[in-house]
Amino acid sequence: MNTIKKHLPKSVIIGLAAIMLPFGAQATSDTAKNMHQLYEDNCASCHGSDHGGFIAPGLNADSLKGRSPTSLRSLIMTGSFDTLMPPFYGRLSDDDIRGLVKHLQTTPKQANPAWTIDDIKASIKVYVKDESTLPAKPTYQINSMDDVIGVAARGKYGRGSGSKAVFINSVTHKQIGEIPTGTAAHIIDYNPANPRWAYVKTDTAEIFKVDLYSMQAVRSVKTGFNGPGLGVSRDGKYIMAGSYVPHNAVILDADTLEPLKTFELEGVDPDGKMVSSDSGMIIGTPFADIFAIALENAGQVWVVDLKEGFPVTKIENVGRHLHDAFLSHGGSKLMVASYDDSIVTAIDLKDRKIIKKLEAGCVPHVGGGSVVEVDGRTLGFGTNFGDCDKMVVSVWDLDKMEVVKQVPVSGGTESPAAHANAPYVAVDIISKDRRARTVQLIDKKSLEVVKTLDVGGHAYFPEYSADGKFLYVSAGYSGDEVVVYDAVSLEKVASVQMESPAGIFSHGRVRYMTRGLSPDEMKGAK
Amino acid sequence: MRLIALSGLLILGLMSTQSANAASIYAGEAKAATVCSQCHGIRMPSADAPFPPLAGRDADYLKTALKQYRDKTRKSDIMNAIAGSLSDDDINNVAMYYAKLKP
Repeated sequence: MNTIKKHLPKSVIIGLAAIMLPFGAQATSDTAKNMHQLYEDNCASCHGSDHGGFIAPGLNADSLKGRSPTSLRSLIMTGSFDTLMPPFYGRLSDDDIRGLVKHLQTTPKQANPAWTIDDIKASIKVYVKDESTLPAKPTYQINSMDDVIGVAARGKYGRGSGSKAVFINSVTHKQIGEIPTGTAAHIIDYNPANPRWAYVKTDTAEIFKVDLYSMQAVRSVKTGFNGPGLGVSRDGKYIMAGSYVPHNAVILDADTLEPLKTFELEGVDPDGKMVSSDSGMIIGTPFADIFAIALENAGQVWVVDLKEGFPVTKIENVGRHLHDAFLSHGGSKLMVASYDDSIVTAIDLKDRKIIKKLEAGCVPHVGGGSVVEVDGRTLGFGTNFGDCDKMVVSVWDLDKMEVVKQVPVSGGTESPAAHANAPYVAVDIISKDRRARTVQLIDKKSLEVVKTLDVGGHAYFPEYSADGKFLYVSAGYSGDEVVVYDAVSLEKVASVQMESPAGIFSHGRVRYMTRGLSPDEMKGAK
Repeated sequence: MRLIALSGLLILGLMSTQSANAASIYAGEAKAATVCSQCHGIRMPSADAPFPPLAGRDADYLKTALKQYRDKTRKSDIMNAIAGSLSDDDINNVAMYYAKLKP
């Protein structure tokens, strides 16, 4: 049904183009334009608007060199098992699929497209004009807004009716609302100053300002073409977003989503080369009125002061290919993962200096990270994407900044979950075979894996409820459900259906900063 | 010694009855996860997908349909290729698994 509707206007456009273009040029440019549009409408949200790759590999003349067009065609038709690549059989015609393969194998990676502060401003959409008409309290029964858990549902095709942010009451495990996002939801962040606001960012870099009380989007803005980076300042007044395509970041007014300042992400990498850079993690901290942003390729962390002119302090040589990070010590210490040299770099946000580079596992991807207080020590947990010969979760003493243990696990991992009241740190095994169905639990005290849960689907992004009583896990890819376990007995207690669930974000995070810390420790630290 | 041999035979006997008569929904679950769910999902296909749901469908219907796809008496480029890779046991297991699932 959808396909028919989508194709109608296109044929009108083709008709118009045929009239307007001189005869010879018409055939080739029409096909190229159509194929480009097909790419943007079906592939770009994962593979990158510039054909350079995003959460999925780059698709361009260079990366697809020597690949058989027949095998690429069948891959598009059937999808790729154990990945998020869906089957396009029945959604795209065989002619379109053949045309796309040809187009991709002849198109170079595109130049960084422009998306200026004016484009951002013009993209703002207002769904609720007068916010004073919104209800003063939640329109549903809930004891505390901290009990809200948000799930980024990708939707099977990374777009369409399955793409939404789903909010669940983590006491009853019942869905309380959902916000359609058009393309795959990726990150959900909450306003630390006002519990009613959430911000949802999609793979195509739109941000939705969501009223959790009435469960509706009130505004949205498009900050770029691709990129998950999103942070909220401690006073709840600013949000910062960063993109892979184009290479920029922007500070927005958290209330109106008006852009206030954009930043071109470029700098000298640890090998002395000047590079233009993707945006990695962006984080606000309870420690100060600042944002920290990782420049992936430049290997730098920038600290932006939230005052007149938004001045930037650049911390260089943090690592080769930075990605995500987590906070510790009241938000004054930032642990940044560096893919290519398999380290996690500790940064002091007070002095704005590198404290130490700590050994991690194979391609560290710390997700939201976890920090727990055990026997007087502050322990940080870091997961690792890679599954080279060393498959471990790193545990660091964050007071002494040293490696405590590298806990052997059964594969590559993507995100750890912990809670002050729960006995285990949960890590998701993502290695591309049956292990991907599982989550492993590390005992906080013994630092050993004590249990493996067979969740199903591609199990990832574990998250505890705000009270620490329940463990939520996405059974992603074709699993199509979020599975809830009792945090102590590890018995399955509930399941919530949705298409390709991914990241899970507890509202409680705004109180404990990093998962595993208790709100009391947070107060003490400040 | 004789006891062990006897019980060994007994186990073998049990195993063969099982594979001959009763379909294994566990084997069906594994097969469905690797072969069918990419398009049809487990409980539901994607709301945007052009594929029919399988959960809760009549087991005999599913078996007949898969065998027809395999024999190419029912035509579909993609299903002829996919069903072509399934054995009789696979078809029984997968049909039993999906039939028992609540949509």
